[in-house]
Amino acid sequence: MFLLKRINRQQKILIIFFLILPILPIFFSNTPYIMHILIFSLIWSSLAVTWDLVFGYAGILTLGHLGFFTIGAYASAMLTTNFPVSPWVGIIFGGVIAGIFGLLLGVPCLRLKGAYVALITFAFHLVLPTLIHRGDIIKTGGTKGIFGIIPLKIGSYTFSQLNKVPWFYVMLGLTIFIFLLIYKIINSPFGSAFVAIRDSEDFAKSLGINIFKTKLQVFGLTSLLAGVTGGFYAHYVGYIGSKILNFDSFLFVWVIMAIGGVGSFPGVLISAIIITILNEMLRGFESYRLLILGALVIISIIFMPNGIMGGINSLLDSIMKYLKKSTETRRS
Amino acid sequence: MKQQLIEVLISGITLGSIYAVLALGLTIVYGVSKIFNLAYGSFFTWSAYIAWILTSGFFKLSYLVVIPVIIPVLFIIGVGTERLLIYPLRKRADWQTTTIFLTLGLALFLDTLALIVFGPRVKSLPQIFPGSMNIGNFTLNNNTVIIFFFAIILVVFIEVFLNKNRIGMAMRAVSQDPVGAQIVGIPLDKIFSYAFGFSIVLVGVTSILVGSFYNISPMGGWNPFIKAFVVVAFGGLGSTKGALYSAFILGILEALVAWQIGAVWIMPFWFVMLLIILIVRPQGLIGKWG
Repeated sequence: MFLLKRINRQQKILIIFFLILPILPIFFSNTPYIMHILIFSLIWSSLAVTWDLVFGYAGILTLGHLGFFTIGAYASAMLTTNFPVSPWVGIIFGGVIAGIFGLLLGVPCLRLKGAYVALITFAFHLVLPTLIHRGDIIKTGGTKGIFGIIPLKIGSYTFSQLNKVPWFYVMLGLTIFIFLLIYKIINSPFGSAFVAIRDSEDFAKSLGINIFKTKLQVFGLTSLLAGVTGGFYAHYVGYIGSKILNFDSFLFVWVIMAIGGVGSFPGVLISAIIITILNEMLRGFESYRLLILGALVIISIIFMPNGIMGGINSLLDSIMKYLKKSTETRRS
Repeated sequence: MKQQLIEVLISGITLGSIYAVLALGLTIVYGVSKIFNLAYGSFFTWSAYIAWILTSGFFKLSYLVVIPVIIPVLFIIGVGTERLLIYPLRKRADWQTTTIFLTLGLALFLDTLALIVFGPRVKSLPQIFPGSMNIGNFTLNNNTVIIFFFAIILVVFIEVFLNKNRIGMAMRAVSQDPVGAQIVGIPLDKIFSYAFGFSIVLVGVTSILVGSFYNISPMGGWNPFIKAFVVVAFGGLGSTKGALYSAFILGILEALVAWQIGAVWIMPFWFVMLLIILIVRPQGLIGKWG
């Protein structure tokens, strides 16, 4: 009990999830479909949590995060299909390239106010498909995309689509790494610095925080992490095309963030799992699926402004209050 | 060559007029309420679809009936959207983040709804003033001329509105200092709603004019929206004159790009222009409400 009191709610949720997730393959290893959904939940939650760090915590209103994910996926796919390089190197390379793109985009736009950042990064997202289609000189695959991306390999064991369990554990490892890293960052002086910038730039400046540098660091780091996630995605699916930048994938990650709650780590982990499953259930109503997801964003922003974490927090708080009250009345 | 260049210039000026009006709608709502409306393009699309239903789609009404009816309807839609969806978020400290979430969600919702209701096939509106006129060697489409004059008249109207009308002056006051405006008795919430409604009217009317010579498609609102924002950024947020100048400069440049390099490069061109503008002159051509 003493130990449980020392750790806070964020940590409790993380611990519970990261204890439950590794044992799931025991039950589902024979149903590839469920394993596939689980892997995708992890991919989207990793992407959404880095987006939330830069959007919700650092207050940089970027809409280009899916773009960095795509750049990472493409960079890794292009490197490994054209050169005899291990996919692991490719994934890291994808992250580095996405990080470099993040810095390049961050330099002109991070000195500007919120709405400008939103627009530039969204324009970046909208321009990417054209660049990919026209970029066949550097082997982007044009409009067709890149097929036959090599799967991961450990020693002499090559991963395959037949057995999804190894993929799951690799992605789980990556997800745990990203979540722990972000947890560390949020609770570090660096994290306090960019939360201070988000809440009041003038105040942060008066404390001697270099605003531009801090923002650029967060932006570069989250782009890199999105790129790494994208690299894994490319090798897992075996194909990457510019379709990933379509509105439906954008909307999908957007719903995960809206339901997870802006700036309420680690809500997106829960919402990614819920929304990925919901999305699969809605496959039957194809054209209405996006309509429902769009409506979910609006409804959750208005009625659940702090997301699912806000809901859980207030629920737990009221239970705690009730318990305390009942023990006090019993004592008296 | 010379003939071609002049034709390109004419098409550039037409584009400029369209962007000018769209940019005015954006600059007013952002200047007054600091709301960044990502659903602006969806309202563009939907206005054209509503007009399509009223004219060639089902009711076969004439524009003389449709336009007077649609303007108050658009205003009510705009005010209603602001009241229902954005007003509840205003009281929150992080309203700027949440309104971006909300308006992007709304945009994707409206676009998907348009896709479901009207299907992926493009539609076109009947021409408002069919035919063309000849000036020297050049043939001008009547709609081109109308759009140009419409833009000029609208800019003059907005200037007068902002400087002489009570509501217009209140909008300027709110854009400069919302707290001060409230102290002198300006009803802040009302002004926000009006500004939003006003911007929806501007985008809607433009989209109907444009819809008579471009096609309407469910996702078709995004390009004009992004372009309008670049124009606003170039002209300076909240500056009506700046928006007008920059709309024509960028419109002509776009026509030149399409002519010399190819139409696929139009969006990358706008993106590069946006980056250059924001690096070289982040405050825009002309500063604030001038």
